[in-house]
Amino acid sequence: METLREILAPDFLLRNSLYTSLLVGLACPLVGVFLVLRRLAFLGVALPQISSTGVALALSLHVWFGPSHSHDHGTNQTVAFIGAFTFSLLAVIALAFLERRRDGRTDGRLGAAYVVATAVSILLLAKCPQAEQSWLTLFKGEIIAVTTGELWQTFVLLALMLTVLGWHRRTFLLVSFDPDLATILKVPVNRWNLILFLLIGLTVGVSVLVVGPLITFGFMLVPPLIAHRFADNMQQLTIWSAIIGVLAAFAGFYAAYVWDLPVGPASVGLLGLAYMVAFIATARPFQRAITPAN
Amino acid sequence: MSQDWTIRLRGVAVGYRERTVLSDLDFTLLQGSFTALLGANGSGKSTLLKTILGLLPALQGAVEFRHIASPVIGYVPQQEQLDANYPLSALDVVLMATHARLSTGLAVPVAERALAMECLQATGVGELADRRFAKLSGGQKQRVLIARALAARPDILVLDEPTSGVDASATGAILEMLGDIHRERHLTILLVTHDFGIVRRHATRVAWLRHGQLTEGVPAELMSPEHVARMLELT
Repeated sequence: METLREILAPDFLLRNSLYTSLLVGLACPLVGVFLVLRRLAFLGVALPQISSTGVALALSLHVWFGPSHSHDHGTNQTVAFIGAFTFSLLAVIALAFLERRRDGRTDGRLGAAYVVATAVSILLLAKCPQAEQSWLTLFKGEIIAVTTGELWQTFVLLALMLTVLGWHRRTFLLVSFDPDLATILKVPVNRWNLILFLLIGLTVGVSVLVVGPLITFGFMLVPPLIAHRFADNMQQLTIWSAIIGVLAAFAGFYAAYVWDLPVGPASVGLLGLAYMVAFIATARPFQRAITPAN
Repeated sequence: MSQDWTIRLRGVAVGYRERTVLSDLDFTLLQGSFTALLGANGSGKSTLLKTILGLLPALQGAVEFRHIASPVIGYVPQQEQLDANYPLSALDVVLMATHARLSTGLAVPVAERALAMECLQATGVGELADRRFAKLSGGQKQRVLIARALAARPDILVLDEPTSGVDASATGAILEMLGDIHRERHLTILLVTHDFGIVRRHATRVAWLRHGQLTEGVPAELMSPEHVARMLELT
């Protein structure tokens, strides 16, 4: 109880990390709902990895382009953000384009993109141990040193994304569920798909930069997958995904603080546990066992 | 019945970028008619339907609409086309057809919700409004999809094999219901079907696709035993 009071105190030393975790825990599941519904879960795995390659490129720029690299944290952060965001957007546009052309297998494309992105990240950082350490910290999900500027940047961009997603929720659902009906109703399906993918790219870019790829794809996929086990309608799916995301972010942070663990793996580990429980509780044989006979 | 046409194709070619499925096609959908589109699997029925619906661009020529530049089309797809992964209630599915009339971001107005319920009741599935669409039977799903098409307040109703994957008793009930809708609402209906019984009972026009040729006429002529035997190559 004392620890909980300490964490919730306004002058808590790691409050920026906590608030960032909660923001990502809220926003990522809400875009992840569309990945789960559209059966693009693997995109939620590949995209953060590709985005982190953008961070790796940004962090290693001075190795490839000489000593013009800045040692100022703010400048480096901006370059890393541009790297993460650009790579997310380029990847999401390329993958959406190939999806539209129905060229090759989606799972194969995403699998290849994931491993190539990881390999390229390692190669980019091979000659730069300091940047490699920063990237590995990000990769492991160690959210400790989040500045107030980074927190505000994350808040503004995720709030913007959530506003657009919420305002146009019906259109995104229509083009996802029944693109033929959307076309007949004169809704420009390709344009709305692109906007949805850009929102996903923005969320991934912003989240990867502050919490790393592990937490980003953990929070994008697992909360909607848990909520999908028991939700009867879209409202329940959306609200429960967000609630599960925020609760896991808080519980993960609490556990990490108490037992001195990395925050990201603690949160994602908790989500994994919750998914297992939800899976067992909603599995058919178990439901039959607890349903009374008529 | 008025002999005005509502949709007309003259010398139209339909197909996909790499492949022309039907060419030099003439077709007229008469206003207020119940037209059955017949043809064997692979004859190009679905491609023609997609072109009429605007889902595929015509490779040559154009689909013309009379009276209304851009009529509202109520479309009933085959229920298997819709992914069961989405946790949508029957009412949610019907409300999708009202999308064009809704204000972005705001809640669905009470009047549109009432219209959606009315359409569900008209197709006999009002009590299933809150049930999950994916968990309904094939026949119930088709009724919900017909309700959705009606909720669009359509000028033309287009149905793509609405009884595909539906058991025999539900098939009969759905097709009878379509006949009633046609009579009561005076809607122009274009129905892709393999069910000759419904064509004989309810259709006022028949369009038959065979070997890339489209034959149009009235059921008395095209559904005569001799003509059917000829089209099915039984003679």
